[in-house]
Amino acid sequence: MAPELLLLSVAGYTAGALAALAFRGMVGRALVAAGALGGSLATLALGAWCLATGATLVFAAPWLPLTGFALRADSLSAFFLIVVGLAAAAASLYGFGYSAHYDGRYSLRLLGAMFNVLLLSLTVQVLADNALTFLVTWEVMSLSAYFLVLTEHDQAGTVRAANWYLGVTHAGFAALIAAFLVLAAGDMTGSFAAMRSVGLTPGTRNLVFLLALVGFGTKAGVIPLHVWLPMAHPVAPSHVSAVLSGVVIKMGVYGLMRVTLDLLGGGPAWWGGIVLGLGAVSALLGVLYALMEHDLKRLLAYHSVENMGIILLGVGAGLMFQSYGLPALATLGFIAGLYHTLNHACFKGLLFLGAGSVQYATKTRNMEDLGGLIKRMPRTAACFLVGAAAISALPPLNGFASEWLVFQTLMGGALVPRPEVAIGMPIAVAMLALSSGLAVACFVKAFGITFLALPRSTDAARAREVPASMQVGMLLLVGMCVALGVTPFLVVPALSRALAGLGRIPVTPIGFSLHLPFSVAGVTGEMSPLLLAVGLALLGVLTAIVLRLLADRRLRVGDTWGCGRIGQTPRMEYTATAFAEPLRRVFAELYRPTEDLSIDFHPKSKYFVRSIAYRSEVQPWFERLLYTPVLSALRGAAARVRQVQAGSLHLYLAYLTIALLVLLVVARWSR
Amino acid sequence: MDATFSQLAMLGSSLMLIFGLILLWRRRVPAYINAFTGQSVALAGVAGATGYFGTESELYWVAAFVLLLKGLVIPSLLRRMGRRFGSERELDPYVNTATSLLLAGLLVLFGYAVMRPLVVTSRLPTRASMALAMGLILVSLFVIVTRKKALTQVVGFLMLENGIALLAILGTYGIPLIVELGVFLDALLGFLVMQIFVYRIHETFETIDVEQLSRLRH
Repeated sequence: MAPELLLLSVAGYTAGALAALAFRGMVGRALVAAGALGGSLATLALGAWCLATGATLVFAAPWLPLTGFALRADSLSAFFLIVVGLAAAAASLYGFGYSAHYDGRYSLRLLGAMFNVLLLSLTVQVLADNALTFLVTWEVMSLSAYFLVLTEHDQAGTVRAANWYLGVTHAGFAALIAAFLVLAAGDMTGSFAAMRSVGLTPGTRNLVFLLALVGFGTKAGVIPLHVWLPMAHPVAPSHVSAVLSGVVIKMGVYGLMRVTLDLLGGGPAWWGGIVLGLGAVSALLGVLYALMEHDLKRLLAYHSVENMGIILLGVGAGLMFQSYGLPALATLGFIAGLYHTLNHACFKGLLFLGAGSVQYATKTRNMEDLGGLIKRMPRTAACFLVGAAAISALPPLNGFASEWLVFQTLMGGALVPRPEVAIGMPIAVAMLALSSGLAVACFVKAFGITFLALPRSTDAARAREVPASMQVGMLLLVGMCVALGVTPFLVVPALSRALAGLGRIPVTPIGFSLHLPFSVAGVTGEMSPLLLAVGLALLGVLTAIVLRLLADRRLRVGDTWGCGRIGQTPRMEYTATAFAEPLRRVFAELYRPTEDLSIDFHPKSKYFVRSIAYRSEVQPWFERLLYTPVLSALRGAAARVRQVQAGSLHLYLAYLTIALLVLLVVARWSR
Repeated sequence: MDATFSQLAMLGSSLMLIFGLILLWRRRVPAYINAFTGQSVALAGVAGATGYFGTESELYWVAAFVLLLKGLVIPSLLRRMGRRFGSERELDPYVNTATSLLLAGLLVLFGYAVMRPLVVTSRLPTRASMALAMGLILVSLFVIVTRKKALTQVVGFLMLENGIALLAILGTYGIPLIVELGVFLDALLGFLVMQIFVYRIHETFETIDVEQLSRLRH
């Protein structure tokens, strides 16, 4: 059944891409969405089937070797297929309605075709079983994402963002090619099976790990390689942003696990330590920068950096515990990372779709111009609220379950009798705790400023609820957020199967009742999100009953108390900047904000003010510190290379001839 | 038998190389075209001889195609271009005639040196001629690099093609016919594209001096 599912999925995406080129307008959008939806559902089914049966499938069509491609689905692939399928299904449904407002303004053909190509490459990516397949699909994924980011090409900053993305992602790609070449150790087939069995020296293994970390880190948006992410994700169409943030950056996690855990089979403890450290830094700095953002989608993009950090905390801890010979804790770490991967795909997808709905209805992403949308777009607001609660790790939603697992894993560091771990782990726990708290603050701001109070602009005041297809896309992910949150007793065993299928760590079968417990020696913790959910629901019902019995239920209409002021205008409301101000003061050394206040007085009297302009910007100073030397070195190198290109045809021909002569000399006299 | 074949192959290859060298010291376009035609006929002869002595019947087809395409079709197209641009002669190449001939000699020697291991180990009767084919390839490249007029370069490219075809025939007794056909098509298409470019260059710059192309750089 599985090969048919794969064919079905490929056929769906291909049909969607072709339909985008062939049909216009409404029909085109519908066919694009149908193709992508069909493809992603087949992807989802394929992943679920593989994970449920536990089978490792090698796809062997007779023509497949001719292309140099090799496809194989093991349990880790299956898990990531599910991630891809879930987010892609919601995004394609949503995209049908969302792309309507692009009709006539931007190329729907390119958007639809590239969207399907992106989904196709993501699906094939996780099935890749040799270096060629992996690298080719990686590049197709990067390039299709690049074109998608460029969709709104005439908006300010889009081209710049896309170029940054292209530059950074290709730097990472170069590192990946190098990593696979070293890993292949001269085996030109580059098959993963050969890589698993090849015995490399520890030095070479470290080299492969570091190259892979750089390569996959750029895609995952790990600080300090994250610069492209907050630029590129906001400017893409929102359903594309959902796929980018929900799935594409997860390929970094997939690749890292595939290479370090599967192909290399784990390594020394410092590998895990580096991943763990990068994760902790990404988590904290990601959320700190998110707090300063007033662009709703940029805020979400920075949160992607944060959540990738949390995922890497889990994965890094897993790698570390594995090398210390603590398989149960290692399993817990990897499971926590994978769980958060799936969860983040759901709630970040949902949040980007919600932000897209806001943008669709109000034509702006600037939170300072929004407000009061909960009355005008109640369903979008409810969906966004669920996503915000999930990303803030509030029980019983899914973000809570996985973050709790990450915490549990990190606490397990107490079992390792090494000073650096004894010092490092509590710091990581503290950083994670701080970033979780700040995430709550950030989403109070995001939801409160965007949806509550009075609208701050006429566009926001005129907003209307979005079309049904967009709502359905969001509702799908809302359902997943709740379902994944209350059923860890189903999800975690499935994830441990995904991990066990790799055969690299002995996964102890964990008996699950209704809990999330881990009886690792010395570490105990139990939590049942389902019971919590039931409890919360009961509490809600109880409150309702009590209110109904005791409260005075007559409806009174009155003004909001306005501190004695007579008029209430939106200009008196709390702004996003104001909300984040205390934190900006606390972390002033990190943000190094520049403030610019100019007041225009009336010429007659200083007591009358005509206008006040206030601008404040946060300087990402360490990015500048890191990238300025790299960029200037690149420019210098490019200027030097340019001298070779004199523009003379004869010179180029001479280069060719000289190259041929040199090659002949080398071939003749090299032995 | 083998001795005859070997000598025939040597004769054909030498002829082809000499036709190639004509490009270095003649200045007039018709001379180039005649040299190319002669070279193609010699190539057809080598192919035919290899077919006869190596009992490869497919090579007769190759010989026929060479005669038809490189002996008739392309030369006639070249003549048409020659009538249009023939007045532009190769007056000041980057390397003058004397030095060109000297360097061409060195390139042929280099060809011999490069092919040495193959000649020593090979048992083919054609082995001695392979160095000449390599020499022809290098000399043709040299022509392309040092000559300024587009037409000269096109002829140089065609001779490069001939050199490669010669090496293939001598070294392997002919590659499969289907591949050979593909190569012919490739050469023809390449030539047609180049022809278009020559016309366009002339249209833009009023000359077919390729040096002018560097003006395109901003």
